[in-house]
Amino acid sequence: MDRLNQQNSRFEPLSDSALRAKDPDFDAWLSQQLQFDEPYLDDGGFCERVMAQLPPPSRRSERRATRAQYGAVVAASAIVAWQFPFDQVLTEAVQQTISLYSLVGLGVLASLVAMTGGIVAARRG
Amino acid sequence: MDLNDEELIRRIVKDGDQRAYGQLVRRYQSQLRFSLRQLCDGDQALADDMAQEAFIKAYKALPAFRGDARFSTWLYRIAYNLVMSHKRKNTPEVNQEAVDRAQAEESVEEAQQLGMARDLNSAMGELSDAQRQAVHLCMQRGFSHEEAASIMKLPLGTVKSHVNRARAKLQTLLQAWREEVVSG
Repeated sequence: MDRLNQQNSRFEPLSDSALRAKDPDFDAWLSQQLQFDEPYLDDGGFCERVMAQLPPPSRRSERRATRAQYGAVVAASAIVAWQFPFDQVLTEAVQQTISLYSLVGLGVLASLVAMTGGIVAARRG
Repeated sequence: MDLNDEELIRRIVKDGDQRAYGQLVRRYQSQLRFSLRQLCDGDQALADDMAQEAFIKAYKALPAFRGDARFSTWLYRIAYNLVMSHKRKNTPEVNQEAVDRAQAEESVEEAQQLGMARDLNSAMGELSDAQRQAVHLCMQRGFSHEEAASIMKLPLGTVKSHVNRARAKLQTLLQAWREEVVSG
């Protein structure tokens, strides 16, 4: 503070030439000092208070947002459908179905054989 | 993910996305509140009320924001208008109790600050209100002279003159500090 007082006592009205004489180094230094000197103000509930007082978004904006969301879902579904190998899946499903039918048929046949064998064995006995 | 101001504003206006506005409030709350505290002569409660009102007013007016200026410039313009309008209606009603309390709180911190910061504050106190605001906007906030003129609602030449005079005054007042820094 002493330094400032000393400078202050020497302070005289500024001439136009002094005003025009710009010192970029001083500007940078002053900006740096001013910014360094500035504290960060903690939120402390300020944002919540502001957000609580905002008017609700307009219905038009909400409808637009909903339409955008539906559009995104439809677009994503279209891409998935486009890329999805339906023919392979169908072929595989048919094959799996055939295999399944074969398995069921084999099971039924085995059951019939077993039942016949059982009946024959029972009659002999 | 940090989106830029333009993208956040687009989301607010087009989709009514209030969370996007929350991001903008968090981004600028400290700077704006600090600037308004200076403008409100240290009355922190008044400055915070004004900042809050400015954010709400900016949100309501956002659909009309054309993007000709930066969002921060536009927000500051709204806030400065509010404070000036409040000052006109309530001159010179400063909440002295709040100012004293703030200064008492600050004095503890100030005691820990370097002498440079104290002298810088004192030197800033030597400037006129307009000079101090012009220096704050241009040299602390980084607004251009044109942006500062738009915020302060002053002609460009007047703002330039305020900045030049303030700079010259500060240069003289802080010469000793600067010489010390330069000489190491």
